[in-house]
Amino acid sequence: MEDLGIFNHFYTLIIVSAGAALLGTVSGALGSYAVLRRQSLLGDAISHAALPGIAIAFLLTGSKTPLILVLGAAIAGWLGTLLIMSIVRLTRIKYDSVLAIVLSTFFGFGLVLHTLIQRTGNANQAGLDTFLFGQAATMLESDVLTIGILGGIALIVMLIFWKELKLLVFDEGFAASIGFPIRTLDILLTSLLVVAIVLGLQAVGAVLMSAMLVAPAVAARQWTDRLRLMVFLAACFGALAGVSGTIISSTASRIPTGPTIVLCATAVVGFSIVFAPNRGLVWDRIRHQRNRRNLKMETSRN
Amino acid sequence: METSQIEIQLIAIVTAVACALPGVFLVLRRMTLMSDAISHAILPGIVIAFFLTESLSSPLLILAAAGTGVLTVVFVELLQRTKLVKADAAIGLTFPALFSIGVILISRFAGNVHLDMDAVLLGELAYAPLNKLQAFGYDDLGPVSLYVMGMILVLNLVFILVFYKELKLVTFDASLAAALGFAPTVIHYGLMTLVSVTTVGAFDAVGSILVVALIAGPPVTAYLMTDRLSRMLMLSALIGSVNAVSGYWVAFLFDVSIAGSIATMTLLIFGFVFLVVPNRGLIAIARRHARQKWEFAQTMLVIHLFNHEGLPEAEAESAIDGLHEHLSWDPGFTNQVVRYALNNRCVSRKETQLILTAHGRTIAQKTLVQ
Amino acid sequence: MSYGTSNEWFPYYEQAFSAGTFSYRTGNELPDYEQAFSDNGVLGMQASEQKAIQVTDLTVAYQDKPVLWDIDLDVPPGVLLAIVGPNGAGKTTLVKAILGLVRPAAGNVLIYDKPYEAQRRIVGYVPQRGSVDWDFPTSVLDVVTMGCYGALGWIRRPGRRERELAMQALEKVGMEAYTTRQISQLSGGQQQRVFLARALVQDATVYLMDEPFQGVDATTERAIVTLLQELRADGKTVVVVHHDLQTVTDYFDWVMLLNIRRIASGPVDEAFTSDNLRETYGGRLGFMKTDKSDV
Repeated sequence: MEDLGIFNHFYTLIIVSAGAALLGTVSGALGSYAVLRRQSLLGDAISHAALPGIAIAFLLTGSKTPLILVLGAAIAGWLGTLLIMSIVRLTRIKYDSVLAIVLSTFFGFGLVLHTLIQRTGNANQAGLDTFLFGQAATMLESDVLTIGILGGIALIVMLIFWKELKLLVFDEGFAASIGFPIRTLDILLTSLLVVAIVLGLQAVGAVLMSAMLVAPAVAARQWTDRLRLMVFLAACFGALAGVSGTIISSTASRIPTGPTIVLCATAVVGFSIVFAPNRGLVWDRIRHQRNRRNLKMETSRN
Repeated sequence: METSQIEIQLIAIVTAVACALPGVFLVLRRMTLMSDAISHAILPGIVIAFFLTESLSSPLLILAAAGTGVLTVVFVELLQRTKLVKADAAIGLTFPALFSIGVILISRFAGNVHLDMDAVLLGELAYAPLNKLQAFGYDDLGPVSLYVMGMILVLNLVFILVFYKELKLVTFDASLAAALGFAPTVIHYGLMTLVSVTTVGAFDAVGSILVVALIAGPPVTAYLMTDRLSRMLMLSALIGSVNAVSGYWVAFLFDVSIAGSIATMTLLIFGFVFLVVPNRGLIAIARRHARQKWEFAQTMLVIHLFNHEGLPEAEAESAIDGLHEHLSWDPGFTNQVVRYALNNRCVSRKETQLILTAHGRTIAQKTLVQ
Repeated sequence: MSYGTSNEWFPYYEQAFSAGTFSYRTGNELPDYEQAFSDNGVLGMQASEQKAIQVTDLTVAYQDKPVLWDIDLDVPPGVLLAIVGPNGAGKTTLVKAILGLVRPAAGNVLIYDKPYEAQRRIVGYVPQRGSVDWDFPTSVLDVVTMGCYGALGWIRRPGRRERELAMQALEKVGMEAYTTRQISQLSGGQQQRVFLARALVQDATVYLMDEPFQGVDATTERAIVTLLQELRADGKTVVVVHHDLQTVTDYFDWVMLLNIRRIASGPVDEAFTSDNLRETYGGRLGFMKTDKSDV
């Protein structure tokens, strides 16, 4: 009996680690584009805006099937993004303010719907906690499969349109001048981001999702000056954070998985910013001192 | 109305106004998301202070949490200063990390302390009146949070009134403010401290996510209505109050979360203002568009004729039959514009040609000179 | 950190969606311009001659605010044309309208008698250097290779042939030693030369360049001038948004003076007169040499 318990525990750990690794990979890779476009916080807005979508999907279908709820989340996240874009286009309100207002009010509306559902006795507070903090620890094989398939599709699409997306992010005007439809590409890239976010909601939840997009990408950027390598490294860092966070949180009781994953990702960022060659702070200091020494030597020689 | 209902609405109004006032400066300074960062990042400060004081409304807790908020701002700015991380990414990195620390602290020691995660994130306005102030031998001097938020509101008001000129200058021209010796950094951190204190005070009632709606919503709505800072402050306070009261009653009617309902009303009222406000509203834009459509087309026509007047190609350029080709307009539309311009006596017909009248020439000249 | 004045927060959306132009233009029906002009000489040139760029009665408005009024411009093949005018004159907008990046409210643009959409492959574009984030993780060679993306079309990746083309272009601008350099490590002038190389890779017949001389060092300025002359020698047409009035006569053979409307256009010695300049710049011409009036 004892052995079986350990085996079960181990099996669960592997499943959860695999799920977290997959999510880290997808959000790390796609987050790179968000960071490069200075849309790091769009992820935060989309993840919060997803709540009413989940609630409405549940109210309409009465089902708690993850796929249906994920679909609802994606649609709401998408609508939120669309609203953000139109308000920015039609008014003088700045992007950051629009993000803040859409993020908080969509979430508030989601909360209203949630209390409505609660009142009918169909759900409990746990559902909301899951949305807020994820439920990495309770991931099942089928969840991991869903994440693998949807995330895999998103990554493949990203690879297929690699050249076009790179051009869009780097030089939109030029892209348009040679005939690429930037609106369409923009929608494509945002949709990929929405996929990464609604998948990630399950692991780390709405509040911490933005870290899963931003942290691996920022860390990866410090190690390389090439987009290809940056996206690859960000995917690796995301996976690393996912696995290490899962393992650390399993070593002791009452350490929630999502926040631990985020802290692992943040640690990778900290390490990268300090120690990465060329760009890192230590490197910078060394170069600085070497320059000063050289300058001193030259002035003394003269 | 019961006393508790009045109390809840009072707390909601005071909180909304207290949040909206510093929010105006955040919105104008393009730092709105800093409030999102602060409201999440203060969690570890709240938790640690809660361990020490075991009360959610002790002054020490507010100070500790506010300190964490300012620390967040410092942290974000340090990250940015390395030039390795852009401003938005720096925010996106900092607050989830601090928030995660808070969450882990809570779950690790959840058994020892009574601090509900949902209370922090979502708040519960309905319970606010239950915690009464007890002093001087009275056991009901009104809800504690009303006093706390009231003091924060007064603090914000005093700060804004005293440093109004400086805030205005720092907001619209930070470098000029520095040159004039107004120490933009001091004003900046003063404002950030206010935002932190306000956020801590408000999270008790509305939670750390929806406080963003209170901070950003009213100023953004007011921004559509006015260009004057003083008016924007007053309108924000007013809109904040309307959001709060209407949100409360919607929540009461449908028996749903008050904070969520206030946030929803914030969006709806923003949407309503966006639709109907003069000048910048959607309806105003559409109507102006429709009105200017003919004016603008007429001006284009007049300028077109003016540009080619007296030149060798004038005959081809001003032939009525050929106009739509030159301007790439739909022939029907071109006819309508010509008729419109004829009616307004900007142009006149001379056989197959359209020629400018003196009036039309003046319009063209005026338009091109400005 | 100055949030108040900085424009660098989320610049993308402002750019991408500000182009809320309003347009009365009909679809793609193209009137026969050859016909319209064949009987009437167009100012300063022979009507029968083919034009590299032909802008007719172009009006562009952003939201409700017009930025270009009824612009006519004919650029014959093989000339170096400078577009000059004060800030806010609509120079960049004109270039963008020629490239089909903004929709005009009236008027038309033809490149060698066909609309831009049909002629994309023979048009090269050098955007303003400040329009992109030079901290983007990519190399010099990679940016220059982007010049091939139009010819490659969707999905196909650049290969060895494209990289060779890019190398040749880099040699032409004297940047072959920097191929693997990250683009943020370049000086402003070097960055500008990378952009020029990218346009060269497009192997276009008509080039549109937005402020290529802005903030570049003397070496780069000379390199660009040499390049422009080579392009002209090859029969290419080059339109350059330019802000330095002093060098117009030395660098260019045609000029367009623009301030919301076209003040003048034509060969430099005809159009670049002090009268026209005064009309373009209003009273703000104190720094200009006035000895141009004798031409």
